[in-house]
Amino acid sequence: MNDEDRNDELITAAGALATEISPERDLWPGIAESIEQPRRSRWIPMLAQAAVVVLLIGASSGVTFLAMKDDQQPVQIATPNLIFEQASFGGSNALGPEYFEVRSDIVAQLEEDLARMSPETRTEVENNLVLIRNAIAEINTALEAEPTNVLLQDLLLRTYQDELAVMHRVGGLTQRVMSRQDI
Amino acid sequence: MEALLTVEASDYSPNMVSIAEPGHAEEAGWITQAQQADTQAFESLYRMHVDKVYGLCLRMTGNVSEAEDCTQETFIQAWNKLNKFRSESAFGTWLHRIAVNTVLGRMRKSKRERDRIQVVADTAFSPVSVADTGELRDLSDAVDRLPEGARHVFVLYAVYGYSHDEAGRMLGIAAGTSKAQLHRARRLLAQQLEKEGFDA
Repeated sequence: MNDEDRNDELITAAGALATEISPERDLWPGIAESIEQPRRSRWIPMLAQAAVVVLLIGASSGVTFLAMKDDQQPVQIATPNLIFEQASFGGSNALGPEYFEVRSDIVAQLEEDLARMSPETRTEVENNLVLIRNAIAEINTALEAEPTNVLLQDLLLRTYQDELAVMHRVGGLTQRVMSRQDI
Repeated sequence: MEALLTVEASDYSPNMVSIAEPGHAEEAGWITQAQQADTQAFESLYRMHVDKVYGLCLRMTGNVSEAEDCTQETFIQAWNKLNKFRSESAFGTWLHRIAVNTVLGRMRKSKRERDRIQVVADTAFSPVSVADTGELRDLSDAVDRLPEGARHVFVLYAVYGYSHDEAGRMLGIAAGTSKAQLHRARRLLAQQLEKEGFDA
């Protein structure tokens, strides 16, 4: 028997080896346990992200509409009562001091800006910011359960950035309103 | 036979396994139901295909525990990717692809393969050979002792009847590399079996 015949016979013989082999135990229970678990880690970021997007659109539109509507209304002074909580990334990460410095400046400016707005506009802005901060709190809660979830960390960071953007936008709107009134 | 299992004349292996078995009209319904998160339908698919998937995992890993883990992981991944299954290939072929990827992924991540070789060397016969009878047990043992790359190609090409193109695609290697690994596997098997007095 030459090598080539041997090789051909090997391939032929291998074709007779069993291709279907029953496992010694039922593997289904382990599979069922895995696939029936709720997909929490997928849904929380998706829902949180969707909520933030909706809130930002609503907040931005509401602020713009009300600020423009208030162009001709008298300016009233009011004491702002927004509460700002320290940001965190699920306990394992924290925003740096630079963020708090910038945020502190913007918050101080926001309080002045809100004071120039009508009660209706101010309430609307405050409500929208509360909603955004609730979203931040929900993401923080999710991060406590999954502190290493990069998607959640990124989502939280972007939501903080969006919050700053909304506050900054409020400042821009009040400045525009004041300029027109001054003229 | 599905397009994915089409073989070239030069690659023809007489042992081509029919992955898409006829007479399983219920399979399509189970797939549709499982795609709508019906776990009972998915269990039916599992029952239908588990022996094929476990057989492949066992042949490729040569270890019962690893094969069980790979089989479970294969079906869990199949469940997660079920919405991407478009019936362009047979469901069994699709599962085979996932199983091969699972085996390769686990082997890359784990150092257990080295331990496995040691365990197999110390064992009178491999767990894989239990499924075979007579002289086929010797061949099965010899296949199990092949180096990883040669074993994977030999199992896919010679045992399961995939072409070099298909085996290469599944293993992430070129068809030429698959041919070279098969040549290596044949040579090593011939040496081993001759040493043991096996007469094919």
